[in-house]
Amino acid sequence: MKSNTHGWSFVLPAIIVVAVMTQVPFVMTLIYSTLRWNLARPDLPIKFVGLQNYIRILSFPNFPQVPEFYSTLWQTIILTASSLVLCTVFGFLLSVLLDNRIPGVNVARTLILGPFFVMSTVTGVIWKTTIFNTTFGWYGVIAKTLGFTPVDLLSYYPLPVIIFLFSWQWMPFFVLVILAGLQGIPLDLTDSMRIDGTNWLQSTFQVKLPLIANHLRIAVMLGLIFIVKEFALILVTTAGGPGTRSYTLPYEVYMTVFNASDVGKAGALAVMTVAVTLLAVNILYRSINKRRTAY
Amino acid sequence: MTQSPTIQQVQRSMAVRQFFRTTGLALVIYLIAIVYFSPILYMFLSGFKTEFQAVSPRLFFVPTLKTFQKVLGDPSMWRYLRNSILQVVLGTFFCLALGVPAAFGLVFGKFKKRGTNEKIFVWFITTILLPPVAVIIPLYTWFQAFNLQKTPIGLLLAYVGFHIPIVVWMLHSFFEDVPVEVMEAAQIDGCSPFHQLVRIAVPLVRTGIMSAGLLVAVFIWNEFFLAFNLTSIATATLPVYMSRFSEQQGMFVAQLSASSTIAVLPAIILGWMTQKALVKGLTLGAVKG
Repeated sequence: MKSNTHGWSFVLPAIIVVAVMTQVPFVMTLIYSTLRWNLARPDLPIKFVGLQNYIRILSFPNFPQVPEFYSTLWQTIILTASSLVLCTVFGFLLSVLLDNRIPGVNVARTLILGPFFVMSTVTGVIWKTTIFNTTFGWYGVIAKTLGFTPVDLLSYYPLPVIIFLFSWQWMPFFVLVILAGLQGIPLDLTDSMRIDGTNWLQSTFQVKLPLIANHLRIAVMLGLIFIVKEFALILVTTAGGPGTRSYTLPYEVYMTVFNASDVGKAGALAVMTVAVTLLAVNILYRSINKRRTAY
Repeated sequence: MTQSPTIQQVQRSMAVRQFFRTTGLALVIYLIAIVYFSPILYMFLSGFKTEFQAVSPRLFFVPTLKTFQKVLGDPSMWRYLRNSILQVVLGTFFCLALGVPAAFGLVFGKFKKRGTNEKIFVWFITTILLPPVAVIIPLYTWFQAFNLQKTPIGLLLAYVGFHIPIVVWMLHSFFEDVPVEVMEAAQIDGCSPFHQLVRIAVPLVRTGIMSAGLLVAVFIWNEFFLAFNLTSIATATLPVYMSRFSEQQGMFVAQLSASSTIAVLPAIILGWMTQKALVKGLTLGAVKG
């Protein structure tokens, strides 16, 4: 096509809207992160303080005690990494199972896909009240019929419960993508595997798994991007508690700005959240790419 | 006197073994699927209970529509529902109206410098990585300053800005599948760039547009963080309404279930309708991106 530069006229409106709603606010957040600005203290004028907010977050004022940021960071990593591992392992196994030609398998696929489309607030509230509740939920009732006293899982094991719920919600997405990969494997390949006498383990893990590496990569990358952002589920199930034991970085940003009204510190936390996300995506992308070229 | 089995016997025993294998596998798969889906299923069921029936978990009961009547008779429920529908319909519309031309322009448009379209595409992708917390503080202060919480326009703008990149990313690969020759032929026949988009490209990628639109619709319908922080009572959407139930420990289970069902059903149905196209859009978009 030798037409002149009509590219911009198609692209520019979208760029402007996206930039105004995402890039400009992000630059503002960067600026906020260098200010001393507390909404609850109108008596203190807004002042440029350089990197002080970052230093305040990262420093160890009373040394043996670890500042909140590090525990929150650690919890975010644990939550995201565990959910991703669970989603990948069980998502793959389930996809292999659903790849069988069996009457009604489409119904099963559809049912398993369901939780992915359920809004996080409903996921949290439903599990919390109808299942994990110690007196009214299924867990409480079943525990009592089996003869032991149910403990409140959400306050004793907040992180494992949230990991479980994240996985419940996101595994369907992994199945969706991995299954698409498995079904893209040509039939003559599976036929020749059968003729060559490969057993189930060999054909699944040594032939099929490498073949769908690309799909696995997509699932893990997108899963990472979306799970790191997750906020609603934590708010409605544990509200970050007990104490700060189920805080994640997004949750801490939210608490810092809307509870502590500390705009400067919240800005710095938000910037570090972005940095951590990008770093994680980068590391993951590289490690997976390296693995891929090895084949 | 041992007799070696005939061909028919061997075939029969193999068929029998195959039958049992398939049945066993099928049972395992059905069981997993039902257990996996059971929290949602139980939620659907509990919506048809009375509050009294819902106190203790049980599966068998006389269904009633009373709870649904009560939930739908609540004017505030309608307000949240209306706000949600408004955001989804307008949000999806504007995302497509801006995102489809953008994706088209990135694939077929010409820029002065070579590689500009590649750069813009990567820029769109990186905005998908940006977590909403990175922008919430300035957005919140702007919304306060311009009183945008009181109108649906503010949240709508945020949704459009946040979801256009997903449309661009998904449709990019669909447009790339359109042969360049088709567009060139259209151009030689005197078709303007705008008509190339509307008359030729859009009809060719309509499955992609459908799936991108449905995905964005589901995302907007379920979105919580922005809605929670950037709306007032008058403009809040269903996810915000549902989050209020988190404090009522085990109370009003039937009402909770009925409301949840209303909040969840549209997204699940839309999602199920779009699953095939979704796979294509997601995997193609990512393999090439």
